[in-house]
Amino acid sequence: MSERLRRLADVLVGYSGRVQPGDLTVIQGTMNVEPLLEELYGAVLRAGGHPAMRCAPEVEALLLDEGSDQQIEWLNPAELEDIEQADVWIVVDAPANTKALTSVDPERQGRVQRARRGWRERYLERALAGELRWVLTGYPTNGAAQDAEMSLAEYEDFIFGAALLDDGDPVARWRAFADELHRVVEFLGSKEELRFVAERTDLTFAVGGDRRWIAADGHENFPDGEVFTAPLDESAEGEITFTFPAVFSGRQVDDVHLRFHQGEVVEATASSGEDFLREMVALDEGARRVGELAFGLNEAVRVFTRNILFDEKIGGTMHLALGSAYSECGGTNRSALHWDMICDLRSGGEVYADGELVYRDGRFLL
Amino acid sequence: MRDPRVARLGELVVNYSLGLQPGKVLRIDAPPVSAPLAIEIYRAALAAGAHPYVDLQLERLPELLLAEANDEQLEYVSPIALAELEFVDAITTIWSESNTRALTHADPERHQRLISASQQLAKRRWQRMSAGELGWLGVLFPTEAHAQDAQMSLAEYERFVFRACHVEEPGDPVAHWQGVREELRSRAEALAEARELRIVGPGTDLKVGVEGRRWQPADGRYNMPDGEVYTSPLETVTEGEISFAFPALFHGREVTGIQLRFEDGAVVETQATRGQEHLEAMLDMDDGARRLGEVAFGLNYEIDRFTQNTLFDEKIGGTMHVALGSAFTDLGGLNESALHWDLVCDLREDGEVYADGELVWQAGRFLETATPARV
Repeated sequence: MSERLRRLADVLVGYSGRVQPGDLTVIQGTMNVEPLLEELYGAVLRAGGHPAMRCAPEVEALLLDEGSDQQIEWLNPAELEDIEQADVWIVVDAPANTKALTSVDPERQGRVQRARRGWRERYLERALAGELRWVLTGYPTNGAAQDAEMSLAEYEDFIFGAALLDDGDPVARWRAFADELHRVVEFLGSKEELRFVAERTDLTFAVGGDRRWIAADGHENFPDGEVFTAPLDESAEGEITFTFPAVFSGRQVDDVHLRFHQGEVVEATASSGEDFLREMVALDEGARRVGELAFGLNEAVRVFTRNILFDEKIGGTMHLALGSAYSECGGTNRSALHWDMICDLRSGGEVYADGELVYRDGRFLL
Repeated sequence: MRDPRVARLGELVVNYSLGLQPGKVLRIDAPPVSAPLAIEIYRAALAAGAHPYVDLQLERLPELLLAEANDEQLEYVSPIALAELEFVDAITTIWSESNTRALTHADPERHQRLISASQQLAKRRWQRMSAGELGWLGVLFPTEAHAQDAQMSLAEYERFVFRACHVEEPGDPVAHWQGVREELRSRAEALAEARELRIVGPGTDLKVGVEGRRWQPADGRYNMPDGEVYTSPLETVTEGEISFAFPALFHGREVTGIQLRFEDGAVVETQATRGQEHLEAMLDMDDGARRLGEVAFGLNYEIDRFTQNTLFDEKIGGTMHVALGSAFTDLGGLNESALHWDLVCDLREDGEVYADGELVWQAGRFLETATPARV
């Protein structure tokens, strides 16, 4: 494992974050990912950067449980310093218990999301301006393995496989994969309308105009492998059923079915967690609209593991996110929410671009 | 599973030591091994209406930095760390380690440069602390490494630490420490009357001048556990000899059986059964290293044994300690040195202390007649 961790750290620092000498590099994670944080620290030093370690215990449930409204809305000025001054930001997201927040009042979670909105936007603004390079990655923990219904050893193989790290030269593999993704982006970039058809799903989006497709090729997420855009705000029309559970902020909602009219959710149902779903959709004006539309294209990610970082990249799936759009796609929707939900298209799913069948059973017909 | 002792310690730190007020920002600096205490301090700070956050200090990072960093990286001071020092209202440092000797083989020259670079931060911290703008407390969470140094099992060491902080048993530790505060203040006031102390014990007959110097009660505000009164003695008066029963540790190196003889305030003769060379090297560090910067009474009787950790050793009830090197300027001390080395002298068996010729301390305790009437 330690050899793989070192390789993961080297790819994150050298390929994803492109740490240069003198770069102030924030490394953020929880204490259960300490071995990877240490490897990252060493890799940043070897690249000539200045590592700033931000390691914290998992106190979010405690804060939400025992903190006052004022305390849960408090924003740490130290974090704003990081947001304003970091050149590179590497986040390792791997909670010890992925369901620790299940019983928290959704209204309180909404309050936290709203309070953090300004800083989240500032972070993305600096990223968009090219002043900050960020990358989000995972780490094999028992909690994550449990969600994936795997042993820890199986889950390690899954993660390092998805990250293409078992290859002799992982950076070369990622460059080749990036080329593939860019070809898909070029193809989709010429289309005006996409229609997704699957079981209890027939949903149309407009994706033309000033909207751009972006290849997610291992720079902001790692592992990676998707292409995404922001559909026109008022264009979503029809219904969609998400085959995989939708997980947000530690809460799981099953069998989400959404109906859209003129870009807005007009009906939201679920077999479990429907209250939470409704609370989030009503969070603010933008939470009703689709901020992101994407194809998962990493063929090394085959199975659902209840971790959005991996699930949204499953080769043969599509996902949309309710809430904020990425402005680098030309998206304009603003919201404190960004909730990715995934639909498996591998058995019988079809996608039509400007009326022409371009994708079937999880693969582009290019 | 919460350990109620750790919960009590967290509350004590927040409500007594730091006296944290609503709306104040508390940073908790802690290694992962001390997370249970960090979380209890966090919880108590929330209950006090403050804004706590935990900054976990991964223990291997200094070793990595010393091994991998170039000179520029080694001397780099983060602008974020400097900015952070301006808005925090209080800092708690949990000193726990998983291995107390991890840096024994680090390159001393590079280590020294790392420490020098961090002085910029330390200096600003002291500035804000002395201006009363920043609260600070150092505390320890029991770990196997510290238990090993103390030659105890972890369970024994936990009892030792929690007893020393007076949180082992249910009760009101805040009330206990308020009592300690009162008592130590009275001691400090009484000692301020003395011109000269004579310390007599096995291998020890030392005269120390303290006239005009202020005595400081160490009552749990900056350290937990705590329990001493200390001052900086006159620089040129110390005369006679002193023996230290406990091994003295400095920068991870041990010196045992130390005997020192003073003339006109300076060490003129040294003896040690082990580590004599290290002792001599320390004394030769600079001019101030041969003179005393501190003389103190250890008064925490819930600390009853040596554990190779200064936080505890210097407070052992019934001991005295002196420090070679730098003095406390706020107490009137003038001695300057890069050294501040605490040496603990056990007076519990047959030690005596005379203040201006009057016996005030015997067998490790102040005599009641010598204590101010209001205690």
